[in-house]
Amino acid sequence: MRRNAVVFIALVVAVMAMLASGKYLDRARKHGPLKLVGDVHGVQAPDFTLTSLDGRKVRLSDFRGKAVLLNFWATWCPPCKVEMPWFADLQKQYGKDGLIVLGVAMDDTEPATIAKFANELGVNYQVLLGTDQVSDDYGDVQYLPTTFYIGRDGTIVDKMTGLLDRKDIEDAVKKVLNSKAQPVNGPPSQTRVAQKSNAMKTVEANEPRPEDIATPGLTDR
Amino acid sequence: MQQPGRKISGLGRARVRYLAAAFLLTALAWSQSAGDKNFVIMAPVGNVQLRAGAAKNVAMDFRIGSDYHINSHTPKSPLLIPTELKLTPPQQIAVADVKYPAGQDETFPFSPDEKLNVYSGDFSIDTLLKAPANTPPGTYPVKGELHFQACDKSACYPPRSLPIQFQVTVVK
Repeated sequence: MRRNAVVFIALVVAVMAMLASGKYLDRARKHGPLKLVGDVHGVQAPDFTLTSLDGRKVRLSDFRGKAVLLNFWATWCPPCKVEMPWFADLQKQYGKDGLIVLGVAMDDTEPATIAKFANELGVNYQVLLGTDQVSDDYGDVQYLPTTFYIGRDGTIVDKMTGLLDRKDIEDAVKKVLNSKAQPVNGPPSQTRVAQKSNAMKTVEANEPRPEDIATPGLTDR
Repeated sequence: MQQPGRKISGLGRARVRYLAAAFLLTALAWSQSAGDKNFVIMAPVGNVQLRAGAAKNVAMDFRIGSDYHINSHTPKSPLLIPTELKLTPPQQIAVADVKYPAGQDETFPFSPDEKLNVYSGDFSIDTLLKAPANTPPGTYPVKGELHFQACDKSACYPPRSLPIQFQVTVVK
């Protein structure tokens, strides 16, 4: 009897392990391993080159030495609209201190539509056209708004998801502005790079999730 | 004959069962959380009986997760992504009409001054299916999807599509 129970439990554990590996392998096959996983604080922010609304190529690493607020948003995301005027104010207030706000629009919409939307909100910072690749590189950004605060040395100081209070955002801006720049030609500093071994700990696991909504009489298709 | 050392008491058996149940629930919860997020689920349509040459109303019943809302079919801004039902029946079946429910005007913590027209909780989309008089009797699969975009009280998720599939049996 005890042996049956142990075998049963072992089977359940094996099924869980297969589910876990299956999900990960399936994702990895489609998108490659996630670069930003688990706790991203202190992790080197993945570099990218994206196209701005006016057609220029913008590379993240060009802003090394600056404090970067990297905000993922979309025109279909009402909470994102609330933050964007705040970001514009913060860019105006702290730009002289080295703050660079970059908006990454995760839209399929025409750039002109995105530009009109941003202008109406008083956006005074660069808006870049997001790609699946940059979303994947930043841990599969599925929850908008999501904002990364990247220190002067290129490492991630903070990550915030969902709409927060303006004070929380400004506090994060002050924190990232206080980050130390990496010495020119210096060693790679104390940054760390997300390892593949962390790959099972996805960023999603730390984010709010829909509840299971299984209900008698209704089936998930 | 029982061996004294191998006996599991009633309490022990209960513990093993609880443990097994806990493992199963954990596995199910994990498989849910690691997979696609199910913002919207759909009640089974079942097998729809349709007389050749006639039309029939078929309701598609959906339920939205308790913490979420999706845009209605007619959101207040062209930038918001409307909920849309797209059915692709075989040529023997026609979708003559799709009627969406009216959304509810609601405000949310992220936009207290702006009302959004949304669905939340349960909602139904009524469809009118038709089979021409010359449709041969038989069973025909109807496929489609519900396209929607969900948000909660502080954030939004990219648009999703919920696959739909049911069968229509045409009789004389």
